Amino acid sequence: MTDPRNPDSASQAIEMDPVEYTLRKRLPRKLPKRRNDVYVNMKTDFRAQLARCQKLLEGGAHREICVHGLGLAINRAINIALQLQASSQGALQLAANTSTVELVDDLEPEDPDEAGEPMTRTRNNSAIHIKVFTEFPTPAKG
Amino acid sequence: MSAAKVKMREKKLRNQPSNVQYSSTHSVDNSDARQGGWVRGHHRDAGGYAKEMPKFITGGTFARARAAEVNAMLKAVNKTPGSSYVFAALPKHMRRRAMSHNTKRLPRRLRDVANRMREKTYQAATKKKKEQAKNKSRKARRRHGNLLLEFNRRQRKNIWLETHIWHAKRFHMVKKWGYCLGDRPTNKCYRPCYRAMSNHCLLQDLSYYCCIELHGEEDKLLAALSQLTSKDTGPTFASAVCLSGCRQGSLTVYKAGQYPSHPLGLVTFLWRPRTQGSALRQLWIWAHPTLKQDLLAELQAVCLCSEAVAMVTPVEAHPTTEPEPEKSSEAKLVPGKKRKRNHKDSSEPSAKKILGDGTRSTTSPVTWKSSLTGIIINDLTMELVRFRLIGPQSHSVLTDTLEAATRCEVLCKEQQPTHTSSLWWPELCKDESRMKLHQQQADLFHTLKSIFSSSELTAGTVLSLTVDDPRLNLPTKKVQALPCVQQAEEVCEEKRRELTLRGVPEHCCQSFLWDQSVRNSVTDNKIPEQTLNRMRREVLVPGSRLSPTPLQGRVPILLVHQPGKQLGTERTGWGAGWDLLLPKGWGMAFWVPLVYRGVRVGGLNMSLKHNQNKATPHFPHDYPDCPAGVRFQDEQEAELLNKLKRRPPAKRPNYIKLGCLAPLRCPWQQLAEEWELISRDLREEKTHDGPVEQQVSPLGGATVKPQHFTVLRSRSSLRLLSCWCRPSSSKGQRLRGVGESSPLSHSAASALVEAHRMSVVWVRLSLLSKGKPELHAMLCAPTAEDLRLLAKEQRANGPQEPPHKDHFKSRIGRSKKSQKTASPANDTSQSSDLVIGLWPDPLPSVSSHCSRVMLGWVTQGDFSLSAGCGEALGFITVSGLIHTLIKQPVEHRGTLLLRNPASLHYRFIKVNIEV
Repeated sequence: MTDPRNPDSASQAIEMDPVEYTLRKRLPRKLPKRRNDVYVNMKTDFRAQLARCQKLLEGGAHREICVHGLGLAINRAINIALQLQASSQGALQLAANTSTVELVDDLEPEDPDEAGEPMTRTRNNSAIHIKVFTEFPTPAKG
Repeated sequence: MSAAKVKMREKKLRNQPSNVQYSSTHSVDNSDARQGGWVRGHHRDAGGYAKEMPKFITGGTFARARAAEVNAMLKAVNKTPGSSYVFAALPKHMRRRAMSHNTKRLPRRLRDVANRMREKTYQAATKKKKEQAKNKSRKARRRHGNLLLEFNRRQRKNIWLETHIWHAKRFHMVKKWGYCLGDRPTNKCYRPCYRAMSNHCLLQDLSYYCCIELHGEEDKLLAALSQLTSKDTGPTFASAVCLSGCRQGSLTVYKAGQYPSHPLGLVTFLWRPRTQGSALRQLWIWAHPTLKQDLLAELQAVCLCSEAVAMVTPVEAHPTTEPEPEKSSEAKLVPGKKRKRNHKDSSEPSAKKILGDGTRSTTSPVTWKSSLTGIIINDLTMELVRFRLIGPQSHSVLTDTLEAATRCEVLCKEQQPTHTSSLWWPELCKDESRMKLHQQQADLFHTLKSIFSSSELTAGTVLSLTVDDPRLNLPTKKVQALPCVQQAEEVCEEKRRELTLRGVPEHCCQSFLWDQSVRNSVTDNKIPEQTLNRMRREVLVPGSRLSPTPLQGRVPILLVHQPGKQLGTERTGWGAGWDLLLPKGWGMAFWVPLVYRGVRVGGLNMSLKHNQNKATPHFPHDYPDCPAGVRFQDEQEAELLNKLKRRPPAKRPNYIKLGCLAPLRCPWQQLAEEWELISRDLREEKTHDGPVEQQVSPLGGATVKPQHFTVLRSRSSLRLLSCWCRPSSSKGQRLRGVGESSPLSHSAASALVEAHRMSVVWVRLSLLSKGKPELHAMLCAPTAEDLRLLAKEQRANGPQEPPHKDHFKSRIGRSKKSQKTASPANDTSQSSDLVIGLWPDPLPSVSSHCSRVMLGWVTQGDFSLSAGCGEALGFITVSGLIHTLIKQPVEHRGTLLLRNPASLHYRFIKVNIEV
């Protein structure tokens, strides 16, 4: 559910003849996930993801959460962060970071005997990591 | 009154005064005889009590009758009723614990009776025991050697895997395919197993898969094998990556040269990497045990290998000649008390345990060679152990459990004279180039640690490795193996990238597991558990690693990556994992350490669920056109029929009334034939909206050629179908590669139908709203009316099937009545072919039996925990699917109806064909 989704971006044209190769996208690399990490995807309902973030913040366990979005989901991640901020009446602050994620594609030849080896190629996609945190951090936290 | 009741009554009345009637035949006259005395109960033949009282009583007879009665009563009162136990005769407050054990706890007046009864039961018990075989004492039975003999006896028919005893304690075992296999765990863990598959790691023992080894020159092997496969269905044996030995491949095998028809089944294969200076190649083909015999026969025919080689092959000494030393020797050494019995058993079955193979008899040959082509076929069934780890963390479990073998230079230099020939590893350590290779392999294995999920790797990668005996560092407690990405990240980021992008380089796939001599040596020199335990005892810190590693504690293994879900867009990479190949005899040595790393263990039904979630066909279940699949269907039908018959008739669903023709077995052939007729009629009419139902002649007709149905596996046709199935205007879904596929048109469709007349196509179905698909649910085409309903409301409930009428019920009733009068031989034959609620054998037209046109059936269906809705896998006839698709509006393309066999409710489903 919280997988960083690999959106169908048609920005990069396939160099190979599509008849000879099948393109298979691998999932982006996963990293260990803390409890306050939220990976935004395009499949889950927006309201559900927003509610999830709110729950994390209001639960009191976390002073800050990280909202991650990759590719097409960047928009939605920003949306979620802004909605959170707007609904908190100024109590929450945002700090956004961007990064580039390397994605791997497999190209499988249709006719495996002649075309030879299946290829892998990497391409890059943008990602955003928004830290949503309370403005006045309580000093009691150890 | 039934026989049991009569018996019971007799027992109860045994000590009762049986007849207190005083016979007075000699008195007055016959008519008065019955009134002479009082009679217990109501006498049938008397026709009721006398209407008038007797006018006079003879004093003598009367007194005699009363005396007899009193006597009987006294007798009854004095005797304890036989049905009750002695102790039951005591009032409750006087009963004591263990009275039956010690009769002195009884009041004295009852002791005699109790003693007598006790003796009686003793006698009965001893008699029974004597009738049985002379049982050994439990202690004797549990003695190691005797236990082994017993185990060998028990696996004479169905072979045990090496992990059998571990499984038998925890699993419901089933006898299948000549093996005893764990079906499902006895504890409730369906969901934990699913979670293990999707988050952590699930372990399975797949050693029952059969391995066939082919030995020969590369071009000759390829030439022979190319007859069995077709490029249409995907990569073949000759595909470049697989041929280099870096990847494992899988494909569907056909009978030689008969590609679209006569498939045999699914196999996976693995080439041995090329060795320098040798043109000979080695190939392992792994097949399901149900498929093995067919495959072996076909391979022999193709490779012209008909000469069976006797027990000793020309290349290497065959393992069958030398049974596993520790077990057989122990079995022979047992000083049996009953020498006669011991002799009989120890000679044959103790050897058989090692031979063990459920798919062939012990005496049949295992090696064939051909003088023409020089190819050698070797049956390696049960020679290798295969474990499967499924789940994203399976590689962390492996890296936790296994350690690359340590060198033993120092040791082997000291002990060189004694250990030169017997062990392979010390020999190997002297070869510097091989040690370099080993070092590279070990480095690659370490790199695995920095990977978070098993699905990040290239699908089918093979990694060869030599590891230390995993029993040496067994954790004291079960631990959860977790990836340690962060520590490892800085170290080998470069290497990780290299591994995920390129996979394992070719030279690192070379393994000693391919070598029969090494395998045998490793198996023979395994350290027994007992020695290891002794070593553990001597360790200073309990639970620490045993060191130094004993010389024979190195095992060559192969790690084969299993790709997860590759097709389609959802859940990519789900269910990826690793297969672990070991030499035989080492199964338990690796199994327990793996289990101690917190994996869950799944049985046969979990592998079914794994395939279902991964959306790949499961071998015998989803291959109805293969001989193994047909056999499986027969078994399944018998099993389902048995299950149905166990319920009382009133509690069974009446499938006739529910309009379900084939709840037990899907008549694919009939369905394909019917659709072939329908499509022909449609073509002749050139109109496609005529009522289909009328055009079907119920019984095939004479025009149908007796052609066998096939499953469509040609990739190009599948790709075309998959494009047509997708609704083109649906949100969020775009046609991939629009240019390559032609849009659905009448000409293109009819061309495809023409090409695959008798074909069915494998589809994945997901329900649009609620509902759980079941086995053999029907897949039907929705009418235009249904689709309008769906357009109005997205989560609409489907239409209902009007209930059918059961014309057979009255016939069954009649036949039952006639059975009562008929002879018993007659009635068994009649009842077998008529079961209430099932259609008798010549089925009417299946496609037009219900109000919606039938297209196919579901072969597996369940609520899918990964998709969150009901999902099913099934087959649909190609022509039926295309005719349905053409009629459907663009936005509802690929929407069908599904109806469970025991329900009248149709539900909407979405068809997915993934290529």
